[in-house]
Amino acid sequence: MSAVEESSNDSVEVKEDSEFDAEAEDQLGDDHVLDPTRYIFYRDRKEWADLEPVPQDDGPNPVVKIAYSEKFSDVYDYFRALLKNNERSDRAFALTAEAIELNAANYTVWHYRRVLLQALSKDLRDEMRYITAIIEEQPKNYQVTCLSTWRLSSPRHHRRMVVEWLNNPAEELEFIADILSQDAKNYHAWQHRQWVIQEYKLWDNELEFVESLLEEDVRNNSAWNQRHFVISLTTGFSDPTIAEREIQYCLKQIRKAPHNESAWNYLKGMLQDRGLSSQPGLLERVLELKETHCSPYLLAFLFDCYEDALENSSQKENICNLLALEKDAIRKEYWLFLGRSLKSKHGISGNSDDLEPSVPASELFPTEPL
Amino acid sequence: MAEEESQFEEFEQIDFLRDRHVRFFQRTLQVLPERYASLETTRLTIIFFALSGLDVLDALDVIDRNLMIEWIYSLQVLPTEDQSNLSRCGFRGSSHIGIPYSTKGPGVLHPYDSGHVAMTYTGLCSLLILGDDLSRVNKQACLAGLRALQLEDGSFYAVPEGSENDIRFIYCAASICYMLDDWSGMDIQKAIEYIRGSLSYDNGFGQGAGRESHGGWTYCAIASLCLMGRLEEALNQRELDRIRRWCIMRQQTGFHGRPNKPVDTCYSFWVGATLELLDVFQYTNFDKNRSFILSTQDRLVGGFAKWPDSHPDPLHAYLGLCGLSLIGEPSLRKVHPALNITQRAFQHLQQLQQTWRDSSAGSCRRQH
Repeated sequence: MSAVEESSNDSVEVKEDSEFDAEAEDQLGDDHVLDPTRYIFYRDRKEWADLEPVPQDDGPNPVVKIAYSEKFSDVYDYFRALLKNNERSDRAFALTAEAIELNAANYTVWHYRRVLLQALSKDLRDEMRYITAIIEEQPKNYQVTCLSTWRLSSPRHHRRMVVEWLNNPAEELEFIADILSQDAKNYHAWQHRQWVIQEYKLWDNELEFVESLLEEDVRNNSAWNQRHFVISLTTGFSDPTIAEREIQYCLKQIRKAPHNESAWNYLKGMLQDRGLSSQPGLLERVLELKETHCSPYLLAFLFDCYEDALENSSQKENICNLLALEKDAIRKEYWLFLGRSLKSKHGISGNSDDLEPSVPASELFPTEPL
Repeated sequence: MAEEESQFEEFEQIDFLRDRHVRFFQRTLQVLPERYASLETTRLTIIFFALSGLDVLDALDVIDRNLMIEWIYSLQVLPTEDQSNLSRCGFRGSSHIGIPYSTKGPGVLHPYDSGHVAMTYTGLCSLLILGDDLSRVNKQACLAGLRALQLEDGSFYAVPEGSENDIRFIYCAASICYMLDDWSGMDIQKAIEYIRGSLSYDNGFGQGAGRESHGGWTYCAIASLCLMGRLEEALNQRELDRIRRWCIMRQQTGFHGRPNKPVDTCYSFWVGATLELLDVFQYTNFDKNRSFILSTQDRLVGGFAKWPDSHPDPLHAYLGLCGLSLIGEPSLRKVHPALNITQRAFQHLQQLQQTWRDSSAGSCRRQH
């Protein structure tokens, strides 16, 4: 059991400690019980005397060295000792919790903890409580930051493993909904949610959930993505009733918030493979909206409709100019480029598949892979 | 940004403070306080950001290359005498497991020691940046370690003991194979299938199938295909045009990573480099992009942050520079958009690869 620091106010530590009280207490030395508020380094604990601590060794010229406190080093020196011996014991299990407390991003600690969970036949429901506490009370470990680009998402992965072993996703949708209520676009949370839904076939209420999020924020791109995810993997979009329903939904949201790329991306994404111009009446509805609810996305959609219909090059050129000069000026060069491509395409053929980029990507790579 | 700076914001010139950035990276390479503990297992990526950043700034002279090279080699997981750990070879992110410092083999048998694909990638890049000839890299071991990480669906784990698997690690794998000039490290076809499967309805790429499209993962997808030399084989012209559109719509002032999210300095590189690989970066607005990146510059400590008035960090400091380099900032070296190292370091790689080919051709000739 980890000793309680004088200055500790961390409820997570207390919670997890109480779970291991019965077994861990047996392993405590006398000094520990005498004054539970005095932190004792592992190196000074009798019950750890059999282990040789293993320091971190960066050699003579360490780079990006992190200056750990004595306490931190002590815990991890003993963690490393346990790892080296591949010890399977309750004291090891307890120490992983302390190591996680100090650095929840250390994926080796989490992996070792999973090894111990299985080797010691730990109660996985207790582990679910533990991982829930870790994530909820240290939200920064669940947050997606740019610095976590190459970092393994240890708490999330751990949770997924435990859910898989328990084969019980009962808490997951609610747990994730809770995370999303604080950070509605959390990429990890949505990923976990998709996994749970697909793995355990929990589709039933998801569309409703998505709609409630879109009610709160119609610009939540993650929610739009989830909408597409649910429908494409349940009913699909090819049923004309479904397609019409979704089109209506999009247009309604666009009327509420015209300057919303997510809604337009959804509409286009849904229809682009079958052909934007193939949906009867859609072009007219969009032209109507253009008068009252215009946006760069609407105009781009119109352009794509005309492209798809292989129609009316002058209309397309007008839209490009409107976008370039007025409605989407930041992309002026791009819209002018598209306008120019139209001219050259019109000269060659009507088929956009023939249009080659000016410098092939392969020229950036003079060394071909073997 | 420091509090006292804010009153001068309106009057500050948007000028590029090269020396501050050099010092920022120098400090990054030294000692970090304990509150950076969460970076422990990824320290090698931090070194990469600092080294490549200094390279882009043409300031590698401020560091001792040989000392760095030695330290990086100490992170290599080498085969043990009996070669029983080949599937775990590659580079570690740091010394956190407690293997005693060593830059040569054989490897030490340890139940939990293994490489991490992003560390192998940034380790190799860092060695190249430092001018090393990779002669101490056990290439076959790295490739064996890489093969062990690929799943049936074509994606990669980061570590052999298992982790999340997604498109990021495909990018790392493709970069490793590209640098080592050896594609036996991965099944390209399967990887392409996974990448295609990650293409979203809105024409960006998510981290995997069904997931929200995102600037970082779109970069991983396109850069991987370019490194494999399979861009136009994997994606037809219509798809490429649609992807170009998704990417170019990411520019607001600087770039954001997803629709309706705030702009963030790092996407000036992730999305900018993708647009460059797709031959349409020239059609973006350079002025607005530059202004945004420089608005996130920390005038006191150097480096760049994700947003204005935020704390700088090594990733944004490095990618901010790369973003500026893409638009042709005069004092900065050009960056290879797919490999994310300078063109200078890339040329060093090309020369190395030529020597490898020459010597293997030579040994073939000697056999006959």
